[in-house]
Amino acid sequence: MALVVEATRPISAASGNRAHPLKNHMPTAIINNQQIELKEGERLNCIQAAQRIGFEIPHYCWHPALSVVASCRMCLVEVGEKKPDGSVVMQPKLVPGCQTPVKDGTVVVADSPKVKAAQQATLEYLLLNHPLDCPTCDQAGECGLQDYSYKYGRGYSRLQEPKNIKPDKDYIGDHITLFTDRCIMCTRCVRFTREYSGTSELQVVARGSDEEIDVFPGRPCNNELAGNVVDLCPVGALCSKDFLYQQRVWWLKETSSVCPNCSTGCSIQVDQNDDCVYRLTPRTNPLSQGHFMCDQGRFGWKYIHAENRLTFPIRRKNGQIRTRDWDDIIPSLQKALTKAAARAPEKCAAIFSPWMACEEAFILASYLRSLSPKFRLALGPVRVAGEDDTYPKDFYGRPLEPVRFTIRAEKCPNRRGVSMVLEHFGSVATMGDVVAQASELEALYAVGGDPWGWLEPVQAEALSRAALTVVQDIFPSALSEQADYVLSGGSFAERDGSFVNYKGLAQEIRRAIRAPDGARPDGRILWELSGRRGLFSAAAIRREMAEAIPAFAAFAAGSLGESGVILNEHGAPQAKVVAAVEK
Amino acid sequence: MTAAADNQDVIWVEEPEIGFWEATFLPAIVEGLKTTIRHVTNYQPVTQQYPEEKPILPLHYRGVHRLNRDEQGRVKCVACMLCATACPANCIDILAAAAPPQWPDRDKYPASFVLDELRCIYCGMCEEACPVDAIELTHIYDLTGTSRNELMYDREKLLDVFDQTKDDPRDPTRTRRGRLGPAAEFGSLPTVAPATPITPGDRSAQAPAPGVIHPHKPSDWSRKPS
Amino acid sequence: MADLITTLLTIAVAVGAILTTVAYLILLERKLSAWMQDRRGPNRVGPFGVFQPLADGLKFLIKEDVIPARADKVMFLAAPCIGLLTTLLAFAVVPFGPVNDQPAYLRFIIAPHVDIGIVFIFAVTSLAVYGVILGGWASNNKYSALGSLRASAQVISYEIPLGMSVLGVALLGGTLNLENVVAAQAQGGFWQWYIWTQPLAALIFFTSALAEANRLPFDLSECEQELVGGYHTEYSAMKFALFFLGEYTHVITMSFLTVILFFGGWHFPWIATPGSAYVGAWLVKVLVLLSKVFSVIVFIMLIRWTIPRFRFDQLMNLSWKALIPLSLANMIAVMTVRQFGWNRWWLLPISIGLFCFVGIIGVSAKRAEIRHRHGASQGAGLHPLGGAGI
Repeated sequence: MALVVEATRPISAASGNRAHPLKNHMPTAIINNQQIELKEGERLNCIQAAQRIGFEIPHYCWHPALSVVASCRMCLVEVGEKKPDGSVVMQPKLVPGCQTPVKDGTVVVADSPKVKAAQQATLEYLLLNHPLDCPTCDQAGECGLQDYSYKYGRGYSRLQEPKNIKPDKDYIGDHITLFTDRCIMCTRCVRFTREYSGTSELQVVARGSDEEIDVFPGRPCNNELAGNVVDLCPVGALCSKDFLYQQRVWWLKETSSVCPNCSTGCSIQVDQNDDCVYRLTPRTNPLSQGHFMCDQGRFGWKYIHAENRLTFPIRRKNGQIRTRDWDDIIPSLQKALTKAAARAPEKCAAIFSPWMACEEAFILASYLRSLSPKFRLALGPVRVAGEDDTYPKDFYGRPLEPVRFTIRAEKCPNRRGVSMVLEHFGSVATMGDVVAQASELEALYAVGGDPWGWLEPVQAEALSRAALTVVQDIFPSALSEQADYVLSGGSFAERDGSFVNYKGLAQEIRRAIRAPDGARPDGRILWELSGRRGLFSAAAIRREMAEAIPAFAAFAAGSLGESGVILNEHGAPQAKVVAAVEK
Repeated sequence: MTAAADNQDVIWVEEPEIGFWEATFLPAIVEGLKTTIRHVTNYQPVTQQYPEEKPILPLHYRGVHRLNRDEQGRVKCVACMLCATACPANCIDILAAAAPPQWPDRDKYPASFVLDELRCIYCGMCEEACPVDAIELTHIYDLTGTSRNELMYDREKLLDVFDQTKDDPRDPTRTRRGRLGPAAEFGSLPTVAPATPITPGDRSAQAPAPGVIHPHKPSDWSRKPS
Repeated sequence: MADLITTLLTIAVAVGAILTTVAYLILLERKLSAWMQDRRGPNRVGPFGVFQPLADGLKFLIKEDVIPARADKVMFLAAPCIGLLTTLLAFAVVPFGPVNDQPAYLRFIIAPHVDIGIVFIFAVTSLAVYGVILGGWASNNKYSALGSLRASAQVISYEIPLGMSVLGVALLGGTLNLENVVAAQAQGGFWQWYIWTQPLAALIFFTSALAEANRLPFDLSECEQELVGGYHTEYSAMKFALFFLGEYTHVITMSFLTVILFFGGWHFPWIATPGSAYVGAWLVKVLVLLSKVFSVIVFIMLIRWTIPRFRFDQLMNLSWKALIPLSLANMIAVMTVRQFGWNRWWLLPISIGLFCFVGIIGVSAKRAEIRHRHGASQGAGLHPLGGAGI
């Protein structure tokens, strides 16, 4: 029995005019009485189509990056079709919105009393056995159940029998923990391990109300992408062991940034409170990595709060510490560098770290070149660990095609950006040259920043023989122990700037926390060292770079937006590519 | 007439006309002096001699905090930090940790719970926010210390306050239904009364016992929400 | 030489007595206010708190002496000294007992036979405002500065009615010497007290004296609700105590003057008259004077805890629109009576008449103001209390 609805009710004032049956009209669909136009070849389901008009159809199991299973039943909507004669025929049953494609003439009603009743009933069912332990649950505050219960639910339970509480799992992985009783069986995590990491550790075991998520005995979920199941879990069932009970999520302040641990340059959010980083979460960015991030990046930020960071600058004379005061060190360093450059212009060198932001590299390079046009600029060591690690993998750990996620072997964020800057300034030396001639050098400016060390002991020994050694780093090293000047810099979470990833995507890193004690963001150090007035502004430097370097022309706007811009070696952003991928 | 003058809630009062004697101030002064002198001659002090006489405080007085214990003597707090979130003075600092393995029914507990009694404004919002009835304000009002640190009450000190005050009739334990709050016993918890408003049409919520639906006529419950 | 020693002794006794009295006056005031407000007052130090002044003094002495970082140090230190010094100085010409028929070694005045006594007192006491202004300015604190500005405006305004109200007495007695003023009243007996012929002057004098001493209801310069502490906001310890002493000494001096000018000084019918020749008559006279002064002081305290503080514009209105014209008229009346040799009792109805006249003018002015305001508000379509156009 088809339900026929009169199509005479006004659709909306604006779209009503465009509803004439034209010959080559755009394919259109109607969501909640609002018309949307579908583009050529676009494949949307009801949830995505509703997002177009800014309407949220609640859903748990559906995720844009995963396959559709339509198991949670939260997205049930009324769907029908608008016939060419203008009448609308609705399907008698509610259908899951995630599984229903929207095509020309599709009518979706997602806010009718029928739909609301279905949402309420579904939520009540999902909550039947869900424990009321929000106070102790880490997900509270960003929990799909909480949010939807508040918006669509009924607020109390009619269940009289005891809840069906399943015991928590002892161990399912090194980084993740499973509170089985909180699970609503959306199977996002299972699908992720099957489709994305390909490692398939997580499974649904048992049936019916005994259903639960588990791993195979002896095969814990320890793949390099395992941390993502915590973000995927819409409730508090899968939690990160690292973040467990550390902080309530409503206290965290998010800052958009970029993961610095490999050259993939995943878009992330730095979640901090009170100058303390608590976790990194991936930020969806189709230009860089998609929706996820790897565990190396997710948990590889602890050095930010390490005890042994450089927390004050140092000026040494004959091995004795003379001062630890920035106001003293910056002018004296300016003087020392000027003197050295004047004495022997060709015997000055600088090592640029691939951990520097493009702006920092630009300020330092232009400052050193202004002292002496013959200043030699070298790119520091680029740490490479093994091979690129691609996902998904098969059961035996062999990579499969098509690749959906890559952990790159190049363990630094901005090798490409720094070398683009250095190429612009020309006369690029290699690290090896600098080390070989270190003992003859009048001045050496070495920038570190790699928290896992960047110098061999031999290299450090060689470099420290330069007449004037300046080290800018965040951790002490064999070189900083002997350097004449040590400048305590900031980690990626403390700096403003931009990183260029392996394929030329420039993204902004933003300052999330304040650097500890006397450490300063590198941008500020270099800004003051180069004698600029006012406060360090990454946007101002980017505008300067856009004028000076053709390859960085895309920096002209100052801001790079949330998803960044793609640079190519010859300048001019690939605007078309950006536009296409964003859609 | 302006809108302000039309407003019925506003009563405009004319300045009273003053007569000759009022203009000389003398009657007012004499009247005032009479009043004050009457108080001196008919002296009935209302002062409480504080250290010797203690005041009788109302039951809802909000004094020093305590952390309640459950039946097994463990700290009732589950470290949800809702009190710290609700606190307008930011005086509560909690470090949460996974509960010790000896407590199988608990997930989380406060490894450290520090309340700055000097910073606190004793508004009682922590008490209201607490989902497990763990933090309560007692009648203790004479709080002194010789240093700021002394008044940073940690978990043990707050539990001590509970031990001191639990049998005091002025500080009844305000636990719901006389037992642990929901977070600690969700496994066997009977259905709770609705925490959110009930829609008039919901028969089960109005039923005397949850889950029992009485055969009302639809018109009955739709017209008269309880 | 003997004269010098007597003078020094008198000074020592007088100053010592004043300072002690001030300490206990403060206790009395605190007790009195407590009784009025159904409290107990100081009752912890000694029985009924009798040692409270000692405890206060000790506290003032051992308290940390704070000088604000950017204060003008010299001025800051000088201000309280000026405040106390000037008020004490005024006491030099005030007779605090009979000055004629007592043993020679008992001289109840520090500087006898000063013919410009009244002028001297006004000259010196109005210097006290320097202490206030300097204190307020040197503190480098806005509240202090505001307080001292108010004090200066107030003292200048009230100096005029204060001086002019006394001129009537001076004209009637034909002298500015306080000893002679007392003598003139004592000679004539109870009905010769100037309060009978100069009631209006007495009222004006007393009111202005309160304002001069910065006592409530005229303590605008230190009102806590508006100015924290007024000019002595930044003062603590002994420097604050000096300001306090100065203020109370001022009260004592003014009470003495009130009694001496209008209430016959040491004279009291039958008990202490110029003719009393019994043994210890001088002592009785001193006691009579002191009890009169004490009553005035208690009255001042009663006023303080009874009448709320004036607003500053009211304070200024009172002085310039009421007290000054009244005192001027009163002076002219006295001059007229003296000039034409009328009976001085004419002054009583004249005073009352003046008082009534001013009262009537005040009332009609107020009514006219209200009427005018009504008319204006109706004309403009605005409500008198504002709030139009909401």
